[in-house]
Amino acid sequence: MSARDTILARVRDAALARPEAATNREAQVAERMTVGPKGIIPHQGQATGPQKLRQFLEKLEANDTTVTRVSSEDEIAHAVARELRKRNLPAAIRMGEDPMFHAQDWGSLDVSRGPGRLEEPVTLSRAQFAIAETGTLVLTSGPDNPVTLTFLGETHFVVLRTEDLRSGFEDMWGDFRKRGLDPRTVNMVSGPSRSADIGQVLQLGAHGPVALHLFMVG
Amino acid sequence: MSGHVPTSSAFKSNSQEALVNRNLQAALRGSRGNFIAKRAAARANVPEFDDIRDQARDMKNHVLANLDLYLEAYEKKVTEAGGHVHWAETAEDARRIVLDICRKSNAKTVNKGKTMISEECGINDHLAENGIKPVETDLGEYIIQLRGEIPSHIIAPAVHVTVPEIEEAFRKHHAHLPPDRDLSELASLQAEARSELRAKYFEAEVGITGANMLIAETGQSVIVTNEGNGDLSQSLPKVHIVMASLEKIVPTLEDSATLLRLLARSATGQEMSVYTTFSSGPKRSEDPDGPEEYHVVLLDNGRSNMIGTEFEEMLRCIRCGACMNHCPVYQSVGGHAYGWVYPGPMGAVLTPSLIGVEEGGQLPNASTFCGRCEAVCPMRIPLPKMMRSWREREFEKNLTPSATRYGLGVWAWAAQRPWAYRLAARIANRSLGITGKSKFSKLPLAGGWTKFRDFPAPQGGTFMDQWKAGKR
Ligand code: SF4
Repeated sequence: MSARDTILARVRDAALARPEAATNREAQVAERMTVGPKGIIPHQGQATGPQKLRQFLEKLEANDTTVTRVSSEDEIAHAVARELRKRNLPAAIRMGEDPMFHAQDWGSLDVSRGPGRLEEPVTLSRAQFAIAETGTLVLTSGPDNPVTLTFLGETHFVVLRTEDLRSGFEDMWGDFRKRGLDPRTVNMVSGPSRSADIGQVLQLGAHGPVALHLFMVG
Repeated sequence: MSGHVPTSSAFKSNSQEALVNRNLQAALRGSRGNFIAKRAAARANVPEFDDIRDQARDMKNHVLANLDLYLEAYEKKVTEAGGHVHWAETAEDARRIVLDICRKSNAKTVNKGKTMISEECGINDHLAENGIKPVETDLGEYIIQLRGEIPSHIIAPAVHVTVPEIEEAFRKHHAHLPPDRDLSELASLQAEARSELRAKYFEAEVGITGANMLIAETGQSVIVTNEGNGDLSQSLPKVHIVMASLEKIVPTLEDSATLLRLLARSATGQEMSVYTTFSSGPKRSEDPDGPEEYHVVLLDNGRSNMIGTEFEEMLRCIRCGACMNHCPVYQSVGGHAYGWVYPGPMGAVLTPSLIGVEEGGQLPNASTFCGRCEAVCPMRIPLPKMMRSWREREFEKNLTPSATRYGLGVWAWAAQRPWAYRLAARIANRSLGITGKSKFSKLPLAGGWTKFRDFPAPQGGTFMDQWKAGKR
């Protein structure tokens, strides 16, 4: 017998040996695997309207994400350039092929496209969704937003359409499925990277970005 | 070579050494209370927290009762996404599988995200013996790798190392850097580790990560980190190997949310860790980055034998570390005294299950039965009850050194009846208080291991009274 079959047989025998073992285990598992919210969604994951936005901004602040709000997509390039100047960063940025970014007039900014390289002072990505429950950005890997940009940028800029903000995990996953997305990775990001491994004192900027800045559109 | 050679059977002498190790005691003092206060605050912010714990417990129980079906569903999804599932019955099998994959990809260097399963299997030593260089990329794991140690905590592996010791390790191992550089700030130490490791991410042919969860619905593996090292380790090399034990399964994405709501809050007091990454299969054909191969090594190593036994509930563990953060024994002796990969209360239960009662049977004695671990465990695992079960088994098998065995009958009777234990403790406490001794070196009926430990003289109630009252 293969290791697979031995292990599965042992697990199955143990399951069936239980006095309370169900006779319809397959049906129970199939039922349990039907997707959609079934359990408790904490109050914190159910905010709506202005409260949802307010809570999201509070949670971002708590996890050290900074924010600029712009009213339309046309303003993204301008806001990015301004933020770079404000942070005394070079006027250069690395991004993927996201149509939202292709539609921008980047002016004199030195824009390059592709995955992350060894040195990346600033990278730009677009988030598919965000979650107000915890101040979390949800990114999906692919040519539009290469996953390495999320981790190699010293400063990471992220754009989010405010309409893509969801209350909690459950409504986010529901809409995620509706969009028919199947990326290699789904990356939930809640602030810039950090570690407390040296002296048990929390410091920002471990292996990932030292700073995370969000541009909210609309 | 069979991975880490356990020294768990020497828990007592390990503890004795730990208690007189000044650096260790300083490091433990530094972290003590930190985790506890942060978890308490995070928990208090979610009124539904205890209901979510119940839901998580029930979900995991259902998975364990049907684990064969869930494993089959999960495997099917991984395969559909172009990944490979490798089943490993033992640590030795896992070592062989990992080495095979590394050899096929001509790996010279392997980057490691933090994975306890890799520690359990002794992957690093095995790779090194076969000419492949393992590089730990989690900052804490990196520090202990430089020092030639194993983790002393499941989420803070270098919690036992002081800052001067870290500086010493960096000066010794980063000898190519100017010897007169300034490392006096914590930030300069972190920056040095960051830049040393950055180049290594691009050199490795294989990246190994663990998995906090495996999702049956989608075939995804999930890692939860704060540093981003796990993501760099799995995104830059050609090959990504996930090492996971088979009980890590959850049914759906919504179920993963239930566990995420508990995990970071219980571990570090964060609402969410910084990075939670769901990975499925190799990179898609149009992707500019990500690995070309995706392998999952599913480890059993004794776990399937726990199903249906009194230790089954241990398989609900999500490795948050709350039990050790709240354990007075762990906080006194640190993680290395436990002698193997898993320390603290969860280690005291898991170690004898995984490496046998002959090796790990001493660990369940490392308890004052104060009950804090069970009170904070997000998965509601009855850790003290299971430690008692091990002690009884060990007693039956006559494996206990005779000094411990003597009186264990009385001890077991009292330990199962907390009122009796507490009463005995309080009486002993009071009499010691009256005689004016500044220290007492025995807890009632548990003198075996406390003989190495001078407990501070009782001031206002028993040890457990004080813990209950929230004094630490
Ligand atoms: S036993 Fe409970 S508290 Fe301890 S690590 Fe596991 S889940 Fe966390």
